[in-house]
Amino acid sequence: MKGMYHIIVQNNKLRYEMDIRRNITIIRGDSATGKTQLINLLEQAAVFGESSGVDVVCQRPCRTLGGNDWNLVLPNIHEQIIFIDEENRFVKSQEFAAAVKASDNYFVIVTREDLPNLPYSVDEIYGIHTSGKYHDLKRTYNELYRIYSGTSFLGKVRPEAVVVEDSNSGY
Amino acid sequence: MLKIIFGDVEHGIYHTPTYFDNRYEDQWITHPLTVEMIRDIDKSEVVGTHLIESPVLGPISTKEISDGVKTLILMAFDKSGRIFNASACGDNCAKWIARLGKRDDLTINLHHVMNFSSVPEFEAVMVNTGVVVHSYREYLEEAIKIKER
Repeated sequence: MKGMYHIIVQNNKLRYEMDIRRNITIIRGDSATGKTQLINLLEQAAVFGESSGVDVVCQRPCRTLGGNDWNLVLPNIHEQIIFIDEENRFVKSQEFAAAVKASDNYFVIVTREDLPNLPYSVDEIYGIHTSGKYHDLKRTYNELYRIYSGTSFLGKVRPEAVVVEDSNSGY
Repeated sequence: MLKIIFGDVEHGIYHTPTYFDNRYEDQWITHPLTVEMIRDIDKSEVVGTHLIESPVLGPISTKEISDGVKTLILMAFDKSGRIFNASACGDNCAKWIARLGKRDDLTINLHHVMNFSSVPEFEAVMVNTGVVVHSYREYLEEAIKIKER
């Protein structure tokens, strides 16, 4: 799977809209911003389809993954966007990192924890931002924002230290 | 005093929302401290033991409050001696964790370096190293030395 995927998830009270650019995306941020609600909506849509009352619009199927049998389920999923809720301990494991590397899926992981085994970009760490009511005024509109946004420096800058991702970053 | 353990802890509760759903007591929900925490974090009002009024979702059950508030309520009221995973809480819960730690001895478990910069007089015991920190800066300096997450 390659490229960017635009995803809309909504019911009659909530609407989430996001672009997923890389194979690993991290969602974190304050409590009560709707992270668990997003996962719940996706789970209901994946299990009950149209009967759930949840609309999921995306070029690829979106589903959730969790629990102790993740390693049995994951090898049978291909070219999908997989959402994983926080407090799934397996996301920190080397076994999961190896499975992600061998997978052709995209992963959206809700977690505040460090995941040293997974190669994700600092640009793909997002929070959920509620930007107000949608145009029908009864639906709350939520979108992702980059937590670590780029900063432009004007003029000459002499930094005290430069932090790079790893020794192969080219600095 | 607040005590912080980084990394896995024996008999700790990692998935706090599920533990909360199965173990919370009705009287916890209407306690003034809980009402205040739900108002601050979830921007919601406690109508009664089984009903919360959310500005986004409308009337919701107690089991639909945020994971962060569920964890704070457990830290405040659960007397089982369990240690709860504070990484289920966002940084907007940090000031409440510090406040609960001042009210009683409170031991929490962290799997990330929580941002306590919103707490003016931060003090905690870093259990992994035994060091007592007296500011957020000291906490940060000590936390990055600890390898366990």
